[in-house]
Amino acid sequence: MNSKKSFYEQELDRLVSENPLSEYHYAYIRQSKAFMEQHLAKELKLEEMAAAAFMSRFHFIRVFRKVYGLTPRQFLKDLRISRAKELLKTGLSVTEVSNEVGYSSLPTFSIAFKRGTRYSPKAYQELYKSNPE
Amino acid sequence: MIHIYVTSVPVTDQDKALDFYTNKLGFVKKTEIPMGEHKWLTVVSPDEQNGVELLLEPMAFEPAHTYQKALKDAGIPWTMFMVDDVKKEHERLVGLGVDFNMEPREAGTVMIATLDDTCGNLIQLAQML
Repeated sequence: MNSKKSFYEQELDRLVSENPLSEYHYAYIRQSKAFMEQHLAKELKLEEMAAAAFMSRFHFIRVFRKVYGLTPRQFLKDLRISRAKELLKTGLSVTEVSNEVGYSSLPTFSIAFKRGTRYSPKAYQELYKSNPE
Repeated sequence: MIHIYVTSVPVTDQDKALDFYTNKLGFVKKTEIPMGEHKWLTVVSPDEQNGVELLLEPMAFEPAHTYQKALKDAGIPWTMFMVDDVKKEHERLVGLGVDFNMEPREAGTVMIATLDDTCGNLIQLAQML
C-alpha cells in the first residue's frame, strides 16, 4: 500500500475534521440504530429511539437526519423491509414475517413492502424461490 | 414506473473483470450477450439476483481512459459496494491477493476501504455503522 495519502483520502480527512457533529453524536446515533435493529419486531416509539441516543425527540430527529440522511422513521422502515426480505427468503409465511418486523397490520406491511421493493411479499417470495442463490 | 435497472463500471478487459468481480468479489454472472468485439456483460449480488445489474462496460470510447486514469491517480473510487463487515471482507480479499490502496477506516457513519479491481478502477467497500 502507498504510504502517501491520495487526494481522496486527504479530502476525507478534511471533511471529517470540519464536520460540525462531534464523535459523541455519532456514537449516540449509532446506539439508536442498534436499538432499532434489536427491537424492530416491536412497535417502536420515537421517544424510545431518542432515549437510546440520550437526546430529546426533536434534537434526535435533527441529528439523526444529519448523520444518516433520513428521518428515524424512514430509516426504521428501510430496516424493516430489509429484514422482511431476508425472512421471506427463509420460507416464513407473509403473516409471520409481518409480525417479525413490527407490523401489526398485514395490509399495512404489504403496502410498505411493495412500495419498498416493487413486489408484494408473496410475489417476492415466489421470485426468490424461482431464482435462488 | 421508472426504476434503476443497471449501473456500470468501465473495465479495460471484460474477461479479466468477470473473473475478478465473480471469483474475488463474489458477484454472480447474470447476462452475457455478444456485441461485436465486446459483450453486454452484467453481474448481480448473490442475494439479489433479480436486482440491479452491474455492467462490466468495455472502454471503446477513448476519452474514458483519461477519465478513469485521473480518478484512479487521485485515489477516487469509481463506485461503492456495501458489505456486512469491511474489516472481514478486507481480510478475505487480501488473502485472495487483492490490493487495497486504502485500509479500512471510519468516516462518519461508515467504515470504508478501497481496493484495486485490476481493470483500471478503485472500488470502495462500505459498511454502515
